[in-house]
Amino acid sequence: MSLKKIIPPEFLEPNWRLWSFVLLIALGILALFAFPMKGYDGYIDPFYSPTVVILPLIGLFRLTCYAFRKYYHRHLFGHPPGCSVSERLNEAKRAYSGETGFFRVENLHRYFMYFSAAILPFFFYDFYLSLFWQHSLALRFGSLFMLADTLAVTIWVFSCHSVRHIIGGRLDCFSCTFASRLGGSVFKFQSRLNARHEALAWASLALIIAADLYIRALAAGLPLDFTILVL
Amino acid sequence: MEKVRLTVYRSSGEGRGRFQEFSVPFEEGMTVLGAMRYVEQNLDTTLAVRWNCKAARCGSCAAEINERPALMCKTRVESLGMDSTITVTPMKAYPNVRDLVSDPTENFDISGRIPAFKPKKGLKKPWVFYERDVERSQEFRRCIECFLCQDTCHVVREHKSGYVGPRHVIEAAALDMHPMDALKRHVYLNREAGLGFCNITKCCQDVCPEHIRITDNAIIPEKERGADVFYDPLVYAIKRLKGENK
Repeated sequence: MSLKKIIPPEFLEPNWRLWSFVLLIALGILALFAFPMKGYDGYIDPFYSPTVVILPLIGLFRLTCYAFRKYYHRHLFGHPPGCSVSERLNEAKRAYSGETGFFRVENLHRYFMYFSAAILPFFFYDFYLSLFWQHSLALRFGSLFMLADTLAVTIWVFSCHSVRHIIGGRLDCFSCTFASRLGGSVFKFQSRLNARHEALAWASLALIIAADLYIRALAAGLPLDFTILVL
Repeated sequence: MEKVRLTVYRSSGEGRGRFQEFSVPFEEGMTVLGAMRYVEQNLDTTLAVRWNCKAARCGSCAAEINERPALMCKTRVESLGMDSTITVTPMKAYPNVRDLVSDPTENFDISGRIPAFKPKKGLKKPWVFYERDVERSQEFRRCIECFLCQDTCHVVREHKSGYVGPRHVIEAAALDMHPMDALKRHVYLNREAGLGFCNITKCCQDVCPEHIRITDNAIIPEKERGADVFYDPLVYAIKRLKGENK
């Protein structure tokens, strides 16, 4: 039986990403406030990397992300509910300010991005710590999990539209100076990742929650972890 | 013989129109425009439908097919499902002239208000610039001015906010990103053209028959350029301290 037959078609509708996002956030909040856990057996929980205090900033970075804006504007506020035009006959009667009123705050996305980018090295550091947990280099399955989530988050942050603006989007000429030639090349490469920004945003969030759940499962005593390589 | 069932919007251009049903013999590879032309030639010669190139190059046959803005000549009848009736309506964002013909003249007025190309001072002639510098502008020049993006944009269509619409943002962005151009059109776009009303829901990008990545490559970069000028808290704080913002 194919995967498409198992998954109900409702979950594959355009709003599946919004609902999975809501589910992931609910899982994250539950994990953080109901069952806080900093780490287990050398694995540091991604929510505590580096500390849970900065989470609101990361949350704001995600909320103002150009990939996520589409979901809540379409599916929560219904501006517009879809691209087909007959669905929104009464929309003209509803107040709308776009990003000129309250949602002007979306323009601070870039500054939330700076904070989030500053946190990325901690994810790599946690991966490094998990390798040297017992004073010798040992690669365990959980470390690979942490590496996957670290790479997904890094690629997602790198594929951000604000990063795109800073590295090359702000330039009009890519061949005028040495710096702009370099910027232009990175811009071209980054643009390819940027085209997948929505998928990366979702994958990175899902992998963080998955890594968190994996570490929790280990702490609960499930025998999931195994050593791949010892040096 | 298999039949294509159509529900077509009919109107004299004044007041509310009505829907009329037609049944057209199906031919392999038939497009919605092909079906409409069959109606025009054989069933009801009074039907007003605008078309020209039949090859998705001119943008004349833009309409709403099953309520989704699309080019009639680029939409195959089979792709809509042979079991259901195909609804064809004119672009509702513009005044209706007759039947499927809308009048998108307002777009040419908006286009005229966008600051024209202004070369930088002191450029040596002949101008030399490289392909990589104009690649981004070239993408926007693929636009065939079918105005489907304007039609699907909920801001243009439902809210009279003064937003110029996706077609005109790419027009301004093509000039703004040109290496020889001196003007900063992101200031114009964010201050006068209502770019702030766009909430990045990407419908314009979804319906574009030329697959121009309108939102990702024009609207968001222009918003980011605007953020540099209008929303940078550091720049704002410095200006405030100097007393320039009062």
